[in-house]
Amino acid sequence: MNGRIGGVAAVLLTAAILYGMQRTTPLYSEITSPVPVRGMQGERVDTSAFAVGIAAVHLARTVTVEAFGQDRRYATSGVWVIVEAAAEAKRESLSLASADWLGPDGVRYRASQRFSIMPGMPGTERLEPGIPRPMLMAFEVPESQLAGATLLIARSAYTPLLEEAWIEMAGVEPENIRQSITLGRGNRLLPWTLEAE
Amino acid sequence: MTEERRSTLRQRLFAVLVAGIGGAAASAVSFAMAVYEAANPEPLRVVAAGEPVDTGRWVVAVRTARVGPVPPSGVEPPEPKTFVMVEFDLDNRSAASSYASTNLFTVDPPVSDLPEPTVYLARDGWIASPLNPDMPERLIAAWEWPRTQPPPRALRLLIGSQIYKRRDNLYGASGWFDRDPVAAVELPVSQGAAEAAR
Repeated sequence: MNGRIGGVAAVLLTAAILYGMQRTTPLYSEITSPVPVRGMQGERVDTSAFAVGIAAVHLARTVTVEAFGQDRRYATSGVWVIVEAAAEAKRESLSLASADWLGPDGVRYRASQRFSIMPGMPGTERLEPGIPRPMLMAFEVPESQLAGATLLIARSAYTPLLEEAWIEMAGVEPENIRQSITLGRGNRLLPWTLEAE
Repeated sequence: MTEERRSTLRQRLFAVLVAGIGGAAASAVSFAMAVYEAANPEPLRVVAAGEPVDTGRWVVAVRTARVGPVPPSGVEPPEPKTFVMVEFDLDNRSAASSYASTNLFTVDPPVSDLPEPTVYLARDGWIASPLNPDMPERLIAAWEWPRTQPPPRALRLLIGSQIYKRRDNLYGASGWFDRDPVAAVELPVSQGAAEAAR
């Protein structure tokens, strides 16, 4: 009798363990997802291939870009987030082509390519080891996704198991939204100028 | 003893028969239902212009259609071309920014040599970037109409759907997959711009 109860208990336990394993098997997309390297805004975030630091974050309703002698005005139904950063390759030349704004709700906003003609935008420039270069990123996000967001920067969005810098943003508050930001051409050292109104 | 064994055998035979007949009946019913559904497809829902359609990943409302020689960017191509432009509202209901899916609109009946449409942002006429979640936009899809075909007077579009699979059948990865059209929309095509240019 005891043996029979033991057998039934063993079968139930095995079924429970198998069910648990089936439910918790990581998805293929999770197994091959980028490896996060966490950091804070304002400090240098080091991955094995590159280092990046966020210098400033500007918020605006419209962005005006001076290009080829004419101004182009870009509106948004949310808020423009303009991020000024610096990045450096460590061991080999590379470019940082992927930038995502991960909102507090877990929703991902890909970096806008609407004025990707600006120098320093993700993917426009190749970084050489040991030479830090300024980097410019733009996002369009709803107002509710500003505070408590994380900025994700990686070499590419699709290559599995690459390291990705996860930078926790601080002080990005809706009360700092400006009416308009103008981006212009700068010099070689800082390739853009930024004026806020 | 023999009496008992014989009854057990008979019971087993009965059980096998019941299971066999039940299984055969179930597969026959399922096959017949599949054949019937394929022979009598449910008519596609036809929506009015401006009515929102939930396609799974997107909520789309098709508004107007027109024909013209200038694409929404406002830059007239060097050699004359005909563009069929459809204005629509699109809302991304997924959790990540994404380009409008290629199966969103299908011209029905199909037009030979029709290239994929280019999608423009209506508010500044620039080619649309990935659409952000929870930020609906008004877009314009522009088909470069083949020169061998007359531009259409009316346009019927099938609105394709997409479903989310947590684990796909090939890799076990999560993703969005194209599915059959969920609705059709019929639009008059305004010819004003094309005739004015002539």
